[in-house]
Amino acid sequence: MKLKKIFLYSILTTAPMCVACEKVLDEPAFSQLEPGNFLTTAEGIESILNAAFAEGYINGGDGKNRTMLESWATDIQWQTDGAENRIAAQMIDFTWDSSLDWLFGSMWLRPYRAIRDANILLENVDNSNVPENAKALYKAEARFIRALSYSHLYSWFGPVPLRKSTSDPLELPRAADQEMQSFIESELLEIIPVLPNPGAEANYGRPNKGAAMALLCKYYLNTKQWQKSAEMAKNIMDLNYYIVYPDYESLFKVENERNKEFILVNPQNPRGGGMEYMNGALPPGFAKEPISGLTMQGNWANWAAQYRLYDSFYNSFDINDKRKNLIITEYINTQGNIVSLLNNNNTRSFKYWPDPNAIGNEHGNDMSEIRYADILLSRAEALNELNGPNQESIELINQIRSRAGLTQPSALSDFGSKEELRNYLLDERGWEFYSEVGIRREDQIRMGTFISSAIARGHANAQPFRVLFPIPQAAIDANPQLEQNEGY
Amino acid sequence: MTQVPLQDFIKDVEFQTSFKFTFDERELSDKKVISVKARNEPLGKVLERISAETGLEFKLVNNNIHIRLSQFKETLSDSAATITDERQEVRVTGHVTDKNGTGLPGVTVLLKGTSIAAPTDAEGNYSIGVPDGNGSLVFSYIGYQRQEVDINNRTTINATLADDAEALKEVVVIGYGTQAKSDITGAVTSLKAEDFNKGANATIDQLLSGKAAGVQVVQNSGEPGGGIAVRIRGSSSINAGASPLYVIDGLPLDNSPVISGGGANFDASQPRNPLASINPSDIESIEILKDASATAIYGSRGANGVVLITTKKGREGRTSISYNSYVGVQNVANKIDLLSAGEYKTVLNELIAAGGGSPDYTVPEGQNGGTDWQDELFRENAILQNHSLSFTGGNAKSNYYASFNYFDQDGVVKSSSFERYSAKVNLNIQASEKLEVGVNLNVSYNVDDFVPSGFGFNAESGTIYAALNFDPTLPLTNQEGGYSLSPFLDLDNPLTLANGSNAIANSYRTFGTVFGKYTILPGLSAKLNIGGDITNSRRDVYIDRSTRYGGPQGGIATILQGQNTNYLVEGTVTYDKTIASHHLNALLGATTQRFVFDNTNNVSRNFPADATETYNMGLGDRSTFDLGSGRATNSLLSYLGRINYEFKEKYLLTASFRIDGSSRFGSNNRFGYFPSFAAGWKLHQESFMQQFPWISTLKPRISWGQTGNQEIGNYAAISTFSSGPSAILDDNLVSTTNPARIANPDLKWETTEQTDAGIDFGFLNERISGSIDYYRKRTFDMLLNLPIPTSTGFTSILSNVGSIRNTGWEFALNSINLEGDFNWSTNINLSTIKNEVLDLGGLAQIITGGAGQTSQVFIIQEGLPAFSFYGYQIDGIWQQGDDFTQTTDNVKPGDFKYRDINGDNTVNAEDRVVLGNSFPDLTWSLGNTFEYKNFQLNIFLEGVEGVSMLNNNLVDAYFPIQFRRNRFAEPYLNRWTPENPSEKYPSFINPTSQGSKLVNSYTVEDASYARVKTITLGYSFPRNIKGLQNLSVYVTGENLFTFTKYSGYDPAVSPNGGAFSRIDFNAYPVSRNFIAGVSVDF
Repeated sequence: MKLKKIFLYSILTTAPMCVACEKVLDEPAFSQLEPGNFLTTAEGIESILNAAFAEGYINGGDGKNRTMLESWATDIQWQTDGAENRIAAQMIDFTWDSSLDWLFGSMWLRPYRAIRDANILLENVDNSNVPENAKALYKAEARFIRALSYSHLYSWFGPVPLRKSTSDPLELPRAADQEMQSFIESELLEIIPVLPNPGAEANYGRPNKGAAMALLCKYYLNTKQWQKSAEMAKNIMDLNYYIVYPDYESLFKVENERNKEFILVNPQNPRGGGMEYMNGALPPGFAKEPISGLTMQGNWANWAAQYRLYDSFYNSFDINDKRKNLIITEYINTQGNIVSLLNNNNTRSFKYWPDPNAIGNEHGNDMSEIRYADILLSRAEALNELNGPNQESIELINQIRSRAGLTQPSALSDFGSKEELRNYLLDERGWEFYSEVGIRREDQIRMGTFISSAIARGHANAQPFRVLFPIPQAAIDANPQLEQNEGY
Repeated sequence: MTQVPLQDFIKDVEFQTSFKFTFDERELSDKKVISVKARNEPLGKVLERISAETGLEFKLVNNNIHIRLSQFKETLSDSAATITDERQEVRVTGHVTDKNGTGLPGVTVLLKGTSIAAPTDAEGNYSIGVPDGNGSLVFSYIGYQRQEVDINNRTTINATLADDAEALKEVVVIGYGTQAKSDITGAVTSLKAEDFNKGANATIDQLLSGKAAGVQVVQNSGEPGGGIAVRIRGSSSINAGASPLYVIDGLPLDNSPVISGGGANFDASQPRNPLASINPSDIESIEILKDASATAIYGSRGANGVVLITTKKGREGRTSISYNSYVGVQNVANKIDLLSAGEYKTVLNELIAAGGGSPDYTVPEGQNGGTDWQDELFRENAILQNHSLSFTGGNAKSNYYASFNYFDQDGVVKSSSFERYSAKVNLNIQASEKLEVGVNLNVSYNVDDFVPSGFGFNAESGTIYAALNFDPTLPLTNQEGGYSLSPFLDLDNPLTLANGSNAIANSYRTFGTVFGKYTILPGLSAKLNIGGDITNSRRDVYIDRSTRYGGPQGGIATILQGQNTNYLVEGTVTYDKTIASHHLNALLGATTQRFVFDNTNNVSRNFPADATETYNMGLGDRSTFDLGSGRATNSLLSYLGRINYEFKEKYLLTASFRIDGSSRFGSNNRFGYFPSFAAGWKLHQESFMQQFPWISTLKPRISWGQTGNQEIGNYAAISTFSSGPSAILDDNLVSTTNPARIANPDLKWETTEQTDAGIDFGFLNERISGSIDYYRKRTFDMLLNLPIPTSTGFTSILSNVGSIRNTGWEFALNSINLEGDFNWSTNINLSTIKNEVLDLGGLAQIITGGAGQTSQVFIIQEGLPAFSFYGYQIDGIWQQGDDFTQTTDNVKPGDFKYRDINGDNTVNAEDRVVLGNSFPDLTWSLGNTFEYKNFQLNIFLEGVEGVSMLNNNLVDAYFPIQFRRNRFAEPYLNRWTPENPSEKYPSFINPTSQGSKLVNSYTVEDASYARVKTITLGYSFPRNIKGLQNLSVYVTGENLFTFTKYSGYDPAVSPNGGAFSRIDFNAYPVSRNFIAGVSVDF
């Protein structure tokens, strides 16, 4: 009797919870989407494609970090001050190591997230209700982002794990150099016919044929496949779409984005992922630039970090070169004093002329990665490497020089050898592309001056292995199969 | 009444009077039958007669009457004649009192070695006839120490009996029940209200600081209502939560922050303290369950220890009203010694002259002597006040406790404060002989007024950072009347930040339980407990036009709203039975709890005017609107059981088991199983121990058990898509989704296995008492964010990998050093912790942690304590004449000499070493209480030895972000110069010449300290004031002195919220407080 009662009461008190025991523990994820259903819809596929765009193009802090890490070791730009200086000092002095945070966050993880999102799209789009005619385009766009990301990784780190599918083994070793190269090339070649013509893309900011061709052209150039680079440059010219925008000085202003010179563009928006270069370019206490009359606005940030150009670079410009007008050499500070920036390796690139509608750190100026001028100079360089100085190269160069306001064009007779023209092209490219995303480092490495010029600047630690960045230590810690670059 | 069972008599008395009886059913199990006749007679007289008749002793404590068998039952049980012996020759009379001078009724007075005895009457008077003036009288009474007095031919002998701690069986709250303290087999620290920290305690966790061995209480900062990290016995996890489970009156609390994030362009500190909604003066006791035997009954939530909080209950008897109040002033306890305006000018200009800065940065002659920005930002004599009013009362059938509390603390940083209004009701009703029902209800309303003071830096910084870095030569205001700004600083003025960022949070929390307890049979009862907890919080943040951010954006308004709710349904059955020498207490139960978290956030910018702040978001520019919301849920379903078995009142065994299911884990691994066993031996009860009468308690105990941890985010086991970064298409932001995580469907509990060996001791009738414990706590299947190859696009997968171990000693001692007119007692707590990562699943290392621009602070590696500081060893300063060929680094005389560990002539990431950790070698506290007459003095000291903390503000001093920042004075005033070739401080000519070596043996500082935490002087007025039960006043000084080498504001804070991974950055300073209080009971 007693036992029965005990049993009865035990059951009574605990029973309410036992009705549907396990069901209690099935909690829906209210705010998140389940991939099983979501990725079968057109909206799901579009949103993952957009995520690939967001990670594949640079903007905001990551974009600034990447641009700076690539430029601080070059012969054009350096920096002082700010918390950044602790990182910059290593880049300037060629003592960087694999523990550098920005390498991991901005240059390793970000492209791999873009690759992940592209792979997810490629694996799911066929089973989705995306209209059949759009599937091919989406796939080509995703493959573009993936190829862009791998070409960046290849430029920075050399061959890296080549993940083509989310179902690849977790631990992937670094791909062979040939495998890496052929993947980038074949992917781009395959998607060029599928991508829309420039200007025909559904939204400004989505990849088009021109961008893929330009990427491939620069890839060929940097891997010294001169013939292919020259041909691809010609193919781009033959699109008859792109132009050398007549006014260099206003080309980079926010109101002139969507011009016909920018081919591969990193779109920026001051409300969420903008261009941050200007924050470090503004000198301390900047109030006004006396020549243009540019006046400091309250919505612009003026960072502690100081992005400075070497005097040797500023002084190398032809006196009539309009391109140097985007470099300021003096300014009026908030106390009304004129401060000179020359002779202290302290001139400032105002190439990305401040956005009147910037919000805090973020300016809206789109950042071109490859523009038509680069394609013309790439062909000029490739042809020189193939044939030595030649008339076509000179004409291509002169297109750029005349836009810069240099009435005295170069002549074929000015260049006695391939080397002379190559050296000249390096200078010309410096004047044309200073402060632009990634270009100077690649140019100096390709033309063999990246290390030698650093040594000439007094950085004895500049050793040849530093043409590649080290694989970030955190990436190596997480993957035993990942080998570090030699020298690090 | 004649021949009625004792229990009926008790019920009758309880009904007729305000008294309540307490007794041990086991002792009275033979159901004494008594006869008594009384009418309009004092209860004392009646009890005297019953005592004489039955051999029972009665003792009045407050309104409770304790009953037990008389120790002299044999001598007394003959007949009533023993009380008054006819053959008396001498009559001795006297008065027996307790230490307060109150007469004690019912004390047995016995002539030693005879059967002659007499009880005291209601006033404590006795009269006893003895054969002659020789011999001695023995006074004995339950709850008091026995006393022998020689008669020596006197006829008046008064006695004062001292309390007997042993006899008053202290009851300790354990999971899902209570137990006599003497029967506890686990490691449990029990704190009563009088043990709590004195001083300004806004929240209950502050009550515990330093009071329990093995419990670390680390404040995030001195911010009113700010977060606190509590850690019990180290840290058993790397990535899962490490906070203990808090259970209030049977309701496990959810302490997740209701609102995270601080609002657009607002540099918020760590989340607020969720316990701030509870009024500390409602707390009756706090039990801290430390070992697995005590915590395993909480299964999956027990691994980090359990804090059981019991609130005050009503008492049967007359209504009593208590009013407690204190008022205090607070001032910043310690300012950081920065360069003064004059020093700043001299030092910076000298650095420029030495080539350490651009001449453009030359500091001009200042005006008005400059400004001490810390002084301007800090509030002098910030007021703090607390008022609590409580009512208790009841009758035989029901009792209640009701209270109201108002707490108001102005922060020591201008424009910050915390206010709380709370009310509490506890109600117990004996609805019938078998059914008891009760309600515990707590409601509160908190107002937090924040200043920005987080981990932001430069223009995004908060007030403290700005004050530490701002140019001291500038005047307070500029010519336009606004706060001054420097063209050379990427910083907003600290006072602009304080005044121009208006952030207020209003939080409402209601929680409570309703229970019904039904006694099925004597000893067998069932209890149903239903509880709920709802917290609503809304944070309004408005950054106005006076600020650097708010100005250009036309004002920035954010509203963050959150609601956390949960409910609990729980049934338990308890069976308690004594058969001969066997005592069994068994518990069986089932419980489920479900949690729902909702949040919304809205941002709007560009308002026509600042006036409407956040109260009309629609007035902002529509294109700036930013919306977000989320909902997450989780649930638990559990079954539990426990058996406590005692044999011969000497041998104790406890076993418990819990099965826990959690929605957070993979469907294959939802249920976890958590057993525990413990044994104790009351050695002092053994007959062979009677030869050591000075040993009053000696109880070795040992326990083993497993507990779990499920404190990970929701949905870690399933793959979902959540919002990703925005794409920019057609120059518009386009929202995207991407995979939230790489899912782990096999995810399960983290299990912590703990063995504890301890001994409780008491000597000299418990004048000296305490305990010693040693524990080993090993966590396996650790919930770790396991790094995975990053080429996947993910950095880690939450996995059950690896193991970590904490071991430690705990020592607690209470002693009464002096007794009498002058009382002196001492409490000592000591504890050690040793933490070691045993296994990381094959990973070589994880380097993690950061604040501001500092990253890669900690290393997690097998063989090291978790979160060991990892950086560069500084060996001194390069001097002129040193051999510079030893290094290829860019160094000059006056630069730091970092140690080249691998000898490759360059110092880089390969040369980093372990620089310490945040697990203290020794944590100690020492409390002394002195009493003389009505005065009481309490001095409480606490300290920590062998603990490190990264001082990230010191990082900014050694590696300034901008030349014109202000800096710590000491290194700069004593810096290396050719004339002063310091071996300690560098020249600061080119601080970053060797790159980013921010975590080093200078910036990782020793945060050991010893502190005079509180000194309280109290005075209790004599009890004869009419209408008052009690009136006492006190003054307290808090944080009076701190002895430390640490150079930041306070060595005892951790603004990043990690008790054992401590980084100090922009900490809201800790205050020194002086408080005066009064306590009145009517």
